[in-house]
Amino acid sequence: MATSLKSRDTNQVLYLYGVSRAGEGIVPDVVGVDAAAEVEAVPCAGLVCWASRVNKTEFADNLARNMENLEWLAEVSVRHQQAVAAIAASRDILPARFGTVFRNSSSLAAHVEKHKAHLTRDLKRISGCEEWGVKVFHVRAQAQAAAAAKSGREYLRARAAALHEQAPPPADAEVQRLLCALEEVAAETAPGSGVVSRGQRGLLWQGSLLVKRLQRDQLQQLMGRFSRDWEGARRIELSGPWPPYSFVSRGPEPEASRG
Amino acid sequence: MADNDLLAGMAEREEVSLLDILDHVLNSGVVIHGSLVISLAGVDLIYLGLNVVLTSVETALQHMRLEQLPTTRR
Repeated sequence: MATSLKSRDTNQVLYLYGVSRAGEGIVPDVVGVDAAAEVEAVPCAGLVCWASRVNKTEFADNLARNMENLEWLAEVSVRHQQAVAAIAASRDILPARFGTVFRNSSSLAAHVEKHKAHLTRDLKRISGCEEWGVKVFHVRAQAQAAAAAKSGREYLRARAAALHEQAPPPADAEVQRLLCALEEVAAETAPGSGVVSRGQRGLLWQGSLLVKRLQRDQLQQLMGRFSRDWEGARRIELSGPWPPYSFVSRGPEPEASRG
Repeated sequence: MADNDLLAGMAEREEVSLLDILDHVLNSGVVIHGSLVISLAGVDLIYLGLNVVLTSVETALQHMRLEQLPTTRR
Protein backbone atom coordinates (compact mmCIF):
# COMPACT_ATOMS: atom_id res chain seq x y z
CA MET A 1 0.00 0.00 0.00
CA ALA A 2 2.90 2.31 -0.64
CA THR A 3 0.61 4.41 -2.77
CA SER A 4 -1.24 5.77 0.23
CA LEU A 5 1.96 7.37 1.45
CA LYS A 6 2.11 9.43 -1.69
CA SER A 7 -1.36 10.88 -1.55
CA ARG A 8 -1.49 14.59 -0.92
CA ASP A 9 -3.58 15.04 2.16
CA THR A 10 -2.21 18.25 3.65
CA ASN A 11 -3.23 17.32 7.15
CA GLN A 12 -1.26 14.10 7.10
CA VAL A 13 2.46 13.67 7.62
CA LEU A 14 4.85 10.72 7.81
CA TYR A 15 5.97 9.36 11.15
CA LEU A 16 9.29 7.50 10.92
CA TYR A 17 10.02 4.35 12.98
CA GLY A 18 13.38 3.41 11.60
CA VAL A 19 15.61 2.54 8.70
CA SER A 20 16.77 -0.83 7.43
CA ARG A 21 18.62 -2.31 4.49
CA ALA A 22 16.68 -2.92 1.31
CA GLY A 23 15.39 -6.33 0.32
CA GLU A 24 15.25 -8.14 3.66
CA GLY A 25 12.41 -10.20 5.03
CA ILE A 26 8.66 -9.83 4.88
CA VAL A 27 6.77 -6.64 5.63
CA PRO A 28 5.20 -7.05 9.08
CA ASP A 29 1.54 -6.30 9.58
CA VAL A 30 1.74 -3.66 12.28
CA VAL A 31 -0.25 -0.59 13.17
CA GLY A 32 1.36 2.82 13.68
CA VAL A 33 1.53 5.23 16.61
CA ASP A 34 -1.99 6.52 15.92
CA ALA A 35 -3.49 3.02 16.30
CA ALA A 36 -5.05 3.40 12.85
CA ALA A 37 -2.71 3.59 9.85
CA GLU A 38 -0.45 0.66 9.09
CA VAL A 39 3.32 0.89 9.01
CA GLU A 40 4.68 0.78 5.47
CA ALA A 41 8.05 0.19 3.87
CA VAL A 42 9.19 3.23 1.87
CA PRO A 43 12.25 2.80 -0.35
CA CYS A 44 14.63 5.72 0.25
CA ALA A 45 18.08 6.26 -1.18
CA GLY A 46 18.80 2.54 -1.44
CA LEU A 47 17.55 1.90 2.11
CA VAL A 48 14.08 1.15 3.44
CA CYS A 49 12.29 3.57 5.75
CA TRP A 50 9.46 2.37 7.96
CA ALA A 51 6.77 4.99 8.31
CA SER A 52 3.06 5.48 8.83
CA ARG A 53 0.73 8.34 8.02
CA VAL A 54 -0.32 10.35 11.04
CA ASN A 55 -2.40 13.41 11.67
CA LYS A 56 -0.29 16.55 11.31
CA THR A 57 -2.04 18.44 14.09
CA GLU A 58 -1.57 15.66 16.61
CA PHE A 59 1.95 14.51 15.72
CA ALA A 60 3.63 17.66 14.41
CA ASP A 61 1.90 20.91 15.34
CA ASN A 62 0.89 19.81 18.85
CA LEU A 63 3.59 17.21 19.47
CA ALA A 64 5.26 19.11 22.29
CA ARG A 65 2.00 19.76 24.08
CA ASN A 66 0.83 16.17 23.64
CA MET A 67 4.09 14.85 25.03
CA GLU A 68 3.36 16.64 28.25
CA ASN A 69 0.15 14.67 28.55
CA LEU A 70 1.35 11.55 30.27
CA GLU A 71 -1.51 9.39 29.12
CA TRP A 72 -0.94 10.32 25.47
CA LEU A 73 2.82 9.90 25.80
CA ALA A 74 2.48 6.49 27.44
CA GLU A 75 0.20 5.11 24.75
CA VAL A 76 2.10 6.56 21.82
CA SER A 77 5.53 5.56 23.09
CA VAL A 78 4.33 2.01 23.71
CA ARG A 79 2.95 1.86 20.15
CA HIS A 80 6.19 3.29 18.80
CA GLN A 81 8.10 0.53 20.61
CA GLN A 82 5.69 -2.15 19.40
CA ALA A 83 6.02 -1.06 15.79
CA VAL A 84 9.82 -0.93 15.91
CA ALA A 85 9.95 -4.30 17.68
CA ALA A 86 7.66 -5.91 15.09
CA ILE A 87 9.93 -4.74 12.28
CA ALA A 88 13.06 -5.76 14.22
CA ALA A 89 11.69 -9.29 14.50
CA SER A 90 12.44 -9.97 10.85
CA ARG A 91 15.45 -7.77 10.02
CA ASP A 92 18.01 -5.32 11.38
CA ILE A 93 16.53 -1.90 11.96
CA LEU A 94 17.97 1.37 13.20
CA PRO A 95 15.19 2.77 15.36
CA ALA A 96 14.39 6.45 14.85
CA ARG A 97 13.98 8.88 17.69
CA PHE A 98 10.47 9.36 18.97
CA GLY A 99 8.54 12.04 17.11
CA THR A 100 10.52 12.14 13.87
CA VAL A 101 7.97 13.45 11.38
CA PHE A 102 8.26 14.34 7.69
CA ARG A 103 6.03 16.37 5.42
CA ASN A 104 5.86 13.66 2.74
CA SER A 105 7.80 10.80 1.20
CA SER A 106 10.03 13.03 -0.91
CA SER A 107 11.11 15.10 2.08
CA LEU A 108 11.77 11.84 3.96
CA ALA A 109 13.87 10.54 1.07
CA ALA A 110 15.84 13.79 0.89
CA HIS A 111 16.68 13.70 4.61
CA VAL A 112 17.63 10.02 4.54
CA GLU A 113 19.85 10.58 1.52
CA LYS A 114 21.72 13.25 3.44
CA HIS A 115 22.30 10.88 6.39
CA LYS A 116 23.01 7.81 4.32
CA ALA A 117 26.67 7.47 5.26
CA HIS A 118 26.12 7.31 9.01
CA LEU A 119 22.95 5.21 8.65
CA THR A 120 24.83 2.61 6.64
CA ARG A 121 27.66 2.62 9.14
CA ASP A 122 25.26 2.11 12.06
CA LEU A 123 23.38 -0.66 10.24
CA LYS A 124 26.63 -2.52 9.87
CA ARG A 125 27.41 -2.02 13.54
CA ILE A 126 24.12 -3.50 14.79
CA SER A 127 23.90 -6.26 12.19
CA GLY A 128 22.55 -9.50 13.70
CA CYS A 129 22.33 -7.95 17.16
CA GLU A 130 19.64 -7.10 19.67
CA GLU A 131 19.68 -4.92 22.74
CA TRP A 132 19.20 -6.05 26.34
CA GLY A 133 18.68 -3.78 29.30
CA VAL A 134 20.30 -4.70 32.60
CA LYS A 135 19.54 -3.20 35.99
CA VAL A 136 21.14 -4.18 39.25
CA PHE A 137 19.25 -3.32 42.42
CA HIS A 138 20.42 -3.25 45.98
CA VAL A 139 18.20 -5.51 48.08
CA ARG A 140 17.23 -3.47 51.11
CA ALA A 141 16.88 -4.29 54.73
CA GLN A 142 14.39 -1.46 55.36
CA ALA A 143 11.44 -3.43 54.10
CA GLN A 144 11.98 -5.91 56.89
CA ALA A 145 12.40 -3.09 59.40
CA ALA A 146 9.00 -1.76 58.46
CA ALA A 147 7.46 -5.21 58.53
CA ALA A 148 8.90 -5.85 61.99
CA ALA A 149 7.52 -2.60 63.42
CA LYS A 150 5.43 -3.01 66.55
CA SER A 151 3.27 0.08 66.26
CA GLY A 152 1.74 2.06 63.42
CA ARG A 153 3.93 4.99 64.28
CA GLU A 154 7.03 2.82 64.20
CA TYR A 155 5.92 1.38 60.87
CA LEU A 156 5.43 4.79 59.32
CA ARG A 157 8.77 5.95 60.63
CA ALA A 158 10.50 2.91 59.11
CA ARG A 159 8.68 3.42 55.80
CA ALA A 160 9.62 7.10 55.76
CA ALA A 161 13.24 6.24 56.46
CA ALA A 162 13.19 3.74 53.63
CA LEU A 163 11.65 6.25 51.24
CA HIS A 164 14.04 9.00 52.17
CA GLU A 165 17.19 7.04 51.80
CA GLN A 166 18.25 8.59 48.54
CA ALA A 167 21.37 6.96 47.25
CA PRO A 168 21.99 3.22 47.31
CA PRO A 169 25.57 2.24 48.12
CA PRO A 170 27.88 2.84 45.18
CA ALA A 171 28.27 0.01 42.71
CA ASP A 172 30.71 -2.42 44.29
CA ALA A 173 33.34 -4.91 43.17
CA GLU A 174 30.63 -7.49 42.53
CA VAL A 175 28.96 -5.18 40.00
CA GLN A 176 32.36 -4.70 38.38
CA ARG A 177 32.66 -8.47 38.18
CA LEU A 178 29.33 -8.60 36.36
CA LEU A 179 30.41 -5.86 33.93
CA CYS A 180 33.58 -7.77 33.09
CA ALA A 181 31.58 -10.94 32.49
CA LEU A 182 29.11 -9.06 30.31
CA GLU A 183 31.87 -7.76 28.11
CA GLU A 184 32.67 -11.35 27.20
CA VAL A 185 29.14 -11.90 25.89
CA ALA A 186 28.17 -8.52 24.46
CA ALA A 187 29.37 -7.01 21.21
CA GLU A 188 29.13 -3.61 22.92
CA THR A 189 27.94 -2.20 26.20
CA ALA A 190 26.52 1.23 26.90
CA PRO A 191 26.21 2.62 30.40
CA GLY A 192 22.62 3.54 31.18
CA SER A 193 21.61 7.07 30.51
CA GLY A 194 17.98 6.44 31.34
CA VAL A 195 16.82 9.60 33.02
CA VAL A 196 13.30 8.37 33.70
CA SER A 197 14.10 5.12 35.46
CA ARG A 198 17.20 6.44 37.18
CA GLY A 199 14.97 7.37 40.09
CA GLN A 200 13.99 3.77 40.82
CA ARG A 201 14.82 2.99 44.41
CA GLY A 202 17.87 0.89 45.12
CA LEU A 203 19.21 1.04 41.57
CA LEU A 204 22.95 0.31 41.69
CA TRP A 205 23.76 0.14 38.02
CA GLN A 206 21.92 0.18 34.72
CA GLY A 207 23.15 -0.28 31.23
CA SER A 208 22.41 -1.65 27.79
CA LEU A 209 24.10 -4.46 25.96
CA LEU A 210 24.33 -5.06 22.26
CA VAL A 211 24.27 -8.84 21.91
CA LYS A 212 24.35 -11.05 18.84
CA ARG A 213 21.08 -12.95 18.58
CA LEU A 214 23.14 -16.14 18.57
CA GLN A 215 24.60 -15.22 21.98
CA ARG A 216 21.24 -14.91 23.72
CA ASP A 217 21.60 -18.19 25.61
CA GLN A 218 25.03 -17.27 26.93
CA LEU A 219 23.66 -13.97 28.19
CA GLN A 220 20.80 -15.63 30.01
CA GLN A 221 23.03 -18.27 31.55
CA LEU A 222 25.36 -15.55 32.79
CA MET A 223 22.46 -13.62 34.31
CA GLY A 224 21.16 -16.77 35.95
CA ARG A 225 24.56 -17.43 37.50
CA PHE A 226 24.83 -13.93 38.95
CA SER A 227 21.24 -14.03 40.21
CA ARG A 228 22.08 -17.15 42.19
CA ASP A 229 25.34 -15.76 43.53
CA TRP A 230 23.67 -12.53 44.60
CA GLU A 231 20.54 -13.90 46.16
CA GLY A 232 19.44 -11.71 49.07
CA ALA A 233 22.01 -9.00 48.32
CA ARG A 234 21.38 -7.75 44.82
CA ARG A 235 18.64 -8.29 42.31
CA ILE A 236 19.10 -8.31 38.52
CA GLU A 237 16.43 -7.13 36.12
CA LEU A 238 16.95 -8.10 32.51
CA SER A 239 14.70 -6.52 29.87
CA GLY A 240 14.62 -7.32 26.20
CA PRO A 241 15.20 -8.07 23.50
CA TRP A 242 14.89 -4.43 22.45
CA PRO A 243 15.63 -3.03 19.01
CA PRO A 244 19.14 -1.54 19.24
CA TYR A 245 17.96 1.88 20.46
CA SER A 246 21.06 2.63 22.50
CA PHE A 247 23.60 1.70 19.84
CA VAL A 248 22.86 4.16 17.09
CA SER A 249 24.75 7.39 16.79
CA ARG A 250 22.91 10.64 17.12
CA GLY A 251 24.22 11.68 13.74
CA PRO A 252 25.50 15.04 12.65
CA GLU A 253 24.19 18.23 14.20
CA PRO A 254 21.01 19.61 12.66
CA GLU A 255 20.98 22.59 10.43
CA ALA A 256 19.21 25.57 11.87
CA SER A 257 16.47 25.60 9.26
CA ARG A 258 13.08 23.99 9.58
CA GLY A 259 11.52 22.86 6.39
CA MET B 1 16.57 -23.41 38.37
CA ALA B 2 17.38 -19.74 38.82
CA ASP B 3 17.91 -19.52 35.06
CA ASN B 4 14.43 -20.79 34.49
CA ASP B 5 13.02 -18.46 37.12
CA LEU B 6 14.65 -15.50 35.45
CA LEU B 7 13.37 -16.47 32.03
CA ALA B 8 9.89 -17.26 33.28
CA GLY B 9 9.89 -13.95 35.09
CA MET B 10 10.69 -12.15 31.87
CA ALA B 11 8.08 -13.98 29.88
CA GLU B 12 5.41 -13.19 32.43
CA ARG B 13 6.52 -9.64 32.84
CA GLU B 14 4.93 -8.88 29.48
CA GLU B 15 4.36 -5.38 30.66
CA VAL B 16 7.87 -4.11 30.25
CA SER B 17 8.03 -1.19 32.61
CA LEU B 18 6.73 2.00 31.08
CA LEU B 19 9.82 3.64 32.51
CA ASP B 20 12.02 1.40 30.40
CA ILE B 21 10.01 2.08 27.29
CA LEU B 22 10.21 5.83 27.77
CA ASP B 23 13.93 5.63 28.44
CA HIS B 24 14.47 3.70 25.24
CA VAL B 25 12.02 5.41 22.95
CA LEU B 26 12.53 9.00 24.07
CA ASN B 27 16.19 8.93 24.92
CA SER B 28 17.72 6.96 22.11
CA GLY B 29 17.23 6.07 18.49
CA VAL B 30 18.85 7.47 15.42
CA VAL B 31 18.32 11.14 14.76
CA ILE B 32 17.24 12.10 11.30
CA HIS B 33 15.88 15.56 11.50
CA GLY B 34 12.37 15.64 10.21
CA SER B 35 11.09 18.45 8.12
CA LEU B 36 8.55 19.77 10.57
CA VAL B 37 9.14 18.36 14.00
CA ILE B 38 9.66 20.23 17.20
CA SER B 39 13.36 20.54 17.70
CA LEU B 40 15.19 17.64 19.26
CA ALA B 41 16.05 19.92 22.15
CA GLY B 42 12.33 20.22 22.79
CA VAL B 43 11.91 16.45 23.05
CA ASP B 44 14.96 16.23 25.30
CA LEU B 45 13.63 18.88 27.66
CA ILE B 46 10.30 17.13 27.99
CA TYR B 47 12.11 13.85 28.53
CA LEU B 48 14.29 15.32 31.28
CA GLY B 49 11.22 16.70 33.01
CA LEU B 50 9.61 13.28 33.04
CA ASN B 51 12.06 12.04 35.61
CA VAL B 52 10.27 13.98 38.32
CA VAL B 53 6.76 13.11 37.25
CA LEU B 54 7.16 9.49 36.28
CA THR B 55 9.13 7.91 39.05
CA SER B 56 6.37 9.01 41.40
CA VAL B 57 3.44 7.84 39.30
CA GLU B 58 4.93 4.58 38.06
CA THR B 59 2.67 2.54 40.29
CA ALA B 60 -0.39 4.37 39.06
CA LEU B 61 0.50 3.33 35.54
CA GLN B 62 1.29 -0.27 36.25
CA HIS B 63 -2.13 -1.34 35.10
CA MET B 64 -1.22 -0.22 31.63
CA ARG B 65 -0.11 -3.54 30.26
CA LEU B 66 1.17 -3.76 26.73
CA GLU B 67 -1.39 -6.25 25.62
CA GLN B 68 -4.23 -3.92 26.50
CA LEU B 69 -3.15 -1.52 23.84
CA PRO B 70 -4.48 -2.03 20.36
CA THR B 71 -1.53 -3.26 18.38
CA THR B 72 -2.81 -5.03 15.35
CA ARG B 73 -5.78 -4.35 13.23
CA ARG B 74 -8.39 -7.02 13.39
